[in-house]
Amino acid sequence: MLRGILTLLLFQFIGECFVKLFELKIPGAIIGMVLLLLFLGVRKGSFHALDTSVFWLLRYLPLFIIPAAAGIITQVDTISKEALAILTSLVIGTFLALAFSAKLIDILISRKENR
Amino acid sequence: MNVDALIAYVTTTPLTWIIITISVYKIGIILYEKTGKHSLLQPIVIAYLIILPILLLAKIPYQQYFASVSILHFFLGPATVALALPLYKNLKLIRSYFVPIMVTLFVGGTFTILSALGILWVLGASKVTMLSMTTKSVTAPITLITAHDIGAIPSLAMGFVVITGLLGASFGTFIFKILRIKHDEAKGFALGLVSHAVGIARAIEIGDNAAAFAALAMGLCGVFTAILLPIIIGFL
Repeated sequence: MLRGILTLLLFQFIGECFVKLFELKIPGAIIGMVLLLLFLGVRKGSFHALDTSVFWLLRYLPLFIIPAAAGIITQVDTISKEALAILTSLVIGTFLALAFSAKLIDILISRKENR
Repeated sequence: MNVDALIAYVTTTPLTWIIITISVYKIGIILYEKTGKHSLLQPIVIAYLIILPILLLAKIPYQQYFASVSILHFFLGPATVALALPLYKNLKLIRSYFVPIMVTLFVGGTFTILSALGILWVLGASKVTMLSMTTKSVTAPITLITAHDIGAIPSLAMGFVVITGLLGASFGTFIFKILRIKHDEAKGFALGLVSHAVGIARAIEIGDNAAAFAALAMGLCGVFTAILLPIIIGFL
């Protein structure tokens, strides 16, 4: 478990350093994630301690989101002023996006299978 | 007995808000499991509905609450790195469906963002609302770490993420039926691409193939949005 946590923290740290050094506009944790992905590819698999830590972290992920998500209480003004635009965009936008993406990949998969 | 000392301790220690936050999430998990894991009753939604009134009633300044529970927030970073593992495990699916997956990822992902922005623009929404809408289909931890970098309001962006997840999970099956979507892989991919983790929860109910494609779509969408969005917005 400890080796797993250490691995995750190290990759995040390297990612953040990378971002600072090259003045990138990408979040450091994302670079860390991509580097870990490459590492797993080179290593051709994970190891037990990493599996355990990842399982634990992702299982409680919503809990880690609450502190930042609760900040919505400071946004009551914006939301009430633009409620109609926001709601329309969310509802119609999600509807269109799902329809478009599902139909697109469905057609592409059918075409591949017919070949 | 020193009641004043007790009150002073309870109102200042971070423990109070850490305990409340974890309890609220635990209640969310219990209710979610009691309702047979209904995809619309995600623990995070229940936790939201309980914690927001508590914060408003307690009249605690948000900064103070956030400082108290910042230890929980800290784990978002390592959790984002951890997303590499499920992505790695699902990446083998790409080999058999490379073109459909990559085309849908880029074209579908772009369409998702532009359609939402278009509607906001027509209805005269503010710039900050539009920026906060760009990450609505990305998984929550990636939204939070990206929102800050692109000048959006993280909590507003987060609200959009949660609602998009719920809408996708509720509309999904209906849309797939009227459009006669044939492949479970397509249903899963669209759900993961548009509605991230809530979409995956819904895809699990469709089947194993749908679930794997949903997880793959969420991972890819998160990575590419987080990498491309700050660069594109930097040019505007």
